[in-house]
Amino acid sequence: MTSATIGRSVVRAGAVTVLVRRRSVMVAGALLVVLAAAVLASLCVGSRYIAPLDVLRALPGDGTPYDVVVRQLRLPRTVLAVVVGAAFGVGGALIQSVSRNPLASPDIIGITQGAGLAATVALTTGAAAALVAPAALAGGLLAAAVVLALGSRHGLAARRFVLAGVAVAVALRSLTEVVMLSADPIDGLRAQIWLIGTLAGRGWTEAAYVAVTLAVLLPVLLWAGWALDSSALDDDTARGLGVRPVARRTGFVVTGVLAAAMATAQVGAVDFVALVAPQVARRLVRAERPPLLCAALVGAVLVVLADLLGRRLFAPTQLPAGVLTAALGGPYLLFLLVRGRRRVL
Amino acid sequence: MTAQLSTRALIAGYEDRVVLDGLDLDLPGGEFTAIVGPNACGKSTLLRTLARLLKPRSGTVLLDGAAVRDLPTREVARRLAVLPQSPLVPEGVTVAELVARGRQPYQRWWQQWSTSDAEAVREAMALADVDGIADRPVDTLSGGQRQRVWIAMTLAQDTDILLLDEPTTFLDPAHQVEILNLVHRLRSERGRTVVAVLHDLNQAARYADHLVAMRGGAVVAAGPPRTILTVDLVRDVFGLDCLVVPCPASGAPLVVPTWPVTVSPGKDA
Repeated sequence: MTSATIGRSVVRAGAVTVLVRRRSVMVAGALLVVLAAAVLASLCVGSRYIAPLDVLRALPGDGTPYDVVVRQLRLPRTVLAVVVGAAFGVGGALIQSVSRNPLASPDIIGITQGAGLAATVALTTGAAAALVAPAALAGGLLAAAVVLALGSRHGLAARRFVLAGVAVAVALRSLTEVVMLSADPIDGLRAQIWLIGTLAGRGWTEAAYVAVTLAVLLPVLLWAGWALDSSALDDDTARGLGVRPVARRTGFVVTGVLAAAMATAQVGAVDFVALVAPQVARRLVRAERPPLLCAALVGAVLVVLADLLGRRLFAPTQLPAGVLTAALGGPYLLFLLVRGRRRVL
Repeated sequence: MTAQLSTRALIAGYEDRVVLDGLDLDLPGGEFTAIVGPNACGKSTLLRTLARLLKPRSGTVLLDGAAVRDLPTREVARRLAVLPQSPLVPEGVTVAELVARGRQPYQRWWQQWSTSDAEAVREAMALADVDGIADRPVDTLSGGQRQRVWIAMTLAQDTDILLLDEPTTFLDPAHQVEILNLVHRLRSERGRTVVAVLHDLNQAARYADHLVAMRGGAVVAAGPPRTILTVDLVRDVFGLDCLVVPCPASGAPLVVPTWPVTVSPGKDA
C-alpha cells in the first residue's frame, strides 16, 4: 500500500485493475443490507401482513397460500421501486457531477417537466394507456435535448447548463398547467397523480424497461465511475491531463438523462430522489462528487421505503410514492447538512 | 540549442481579438525558460497555446518537431504537463488523490492503477515535499502548500516538459522562492524542460536560463538573461526607466527602477 492509495484498494481481475475506495465498499455493503431489509419489509407489509419467513417461502412459487400476493402483487412493484430508484440515483449523480451543483437533477433541469407535459397531453387527449410511457420518454428526452443544445455553447459549462435547464423546466411546467386546466377534470386529476409519481398499478413491464436501460448503460456507467474523477477539475487542468472535458461531460449528461428519463417515463415524477440520493451517497462516502453505485443504492432504498410508507401510512388511503420521497429525503439531507458543518465533508 | 517546443507562424487569441499574430519561437530543451512581459502582452496566451489548452487559429506548435495538433491528446499529456494559472481545487480531495490524478494519461477505466503509477506519485510527492501532508484535504492547505501539490500533480505526469502559468503569483516571497527553487531543481537535477510565465522580472533573470520578453503579442527579445536583459529592453518592453546591475547574491542582472531625481516640491510641501 503506497501513500498514493490512502483509503483505496487495488483490485485485480485478469487484465482489469480497478482502484476502489474502501469507504465506498463499506457504505455500499451497508446500503445493500438496508436495501434487502427494505425490500423484505415491502414484501411483508400490505393490506395483509405476511411474516418474513412466509414471504421467503412464497418467493419460489411452490404453491404456498401467499404465492399470489407476494409474487404477483408485491414483488413486481417492489422490484420496480428498486430499479427506478437506482436509475434516479445514477441519473442524478451524473447530472450533478457535470453541473457541479447539488440542485441540478432531472427534476430541476426540465427532464421531468418534459416527461410530465407529454404524459399530461397523452392522458388528457384520450390517448391509449400504452402510449403514456413512450410519450413521457420522448418528452423527457426532447426537453433534455433542448437543454443540452442551449447549454452546450461554451462547452456545456456548469452554470449555463443549469440555468438553461431551470428555464426550460419553468416553461414546460406552465405549459403543463395550461393543458391540465383546459382538460376534463377527471383526466386532469389522473395527470396530477402521474406528475407526483406513483408505483401503483405498475409492475414487471415497467421494471423491465428500466432494468434493460440500466443494463445497456452499464458499460458506460463503469467507464463513468472512473472518468468522473476528472469532472471536479477545471477544464484547463483536465485538458493538461489529456482529458477531453467537453466530450466527457456530454457523455455523462446523456447517460444520466437516459437513465432518469426512462425511470420518469415509467413511474412519473417521483420527485427529489435524483436530487437527494447522490448527495446522501456523497456524504456517506465522503467523496468530492457523488459515487454512482452508492447513489443508485440510496435511490433504491428511498423509493422502496417511500412506496411502502405511501401504501401503509394512511391505509386504506394510498399516497403516491412521490409525495413520500420528498418527505423522507428533504429532512435527511437537512440533517446531513447540519451535521456536515462540524466536520470536513 | 535543440528546440523541444516551437511555434511557427502562430496566430492565436480569443473570440473577439487576436493576441499572438504570427509568432515564431523556439524554446530550448533541458532549460528553464521564463516568459516575461507587461500585463496583457500575450504571455499567458502563448503558454496556453503551447499547452494546447487554447487552439491556435492558424500556425503550428511543434513538440520535438511534430505538430501537436496531430498528436493524440493523451500522448501529448505524457510528454508535456501544464499547471494553469489558478486551478480549481476540488472539494475534499486529499493531496495524494489529487497528485494521483496526474497519472490520468497513463490510465484507462480498466487499468486504473499500476506499480509505475504508485512509484511516480510517490516520487512526485517527495520531490515537491508534500508527502508529509498526503492525507490532508487540498482545500484546507495554504496557498504555498497548494501550489506545491499542483506542481506534484504535474510531476506525477512524468513528462519531459513542464509548463507553468504564473506559478508564484499570489504567494508570499518565501513561498515564491520555495517554488522557484523546486523548479530549478527539476531543471538541474532531472533535466526537465521548464517553461514558466513569471511576473517578477528579477526572479526570471535569476532563475531562468532562457528569457523570452514579450510585448503586444510579439517577442521583443529572447536569449540568456545576462545577454538580453538591458536598460533598453526594460524600457522597450515595460516602459520603465531602470538600472540593470549585477545581483549581489547571484550575479544575475538585477533590474532596479530609477529613483525620481526631480521631485516636484510643491506637492508634498
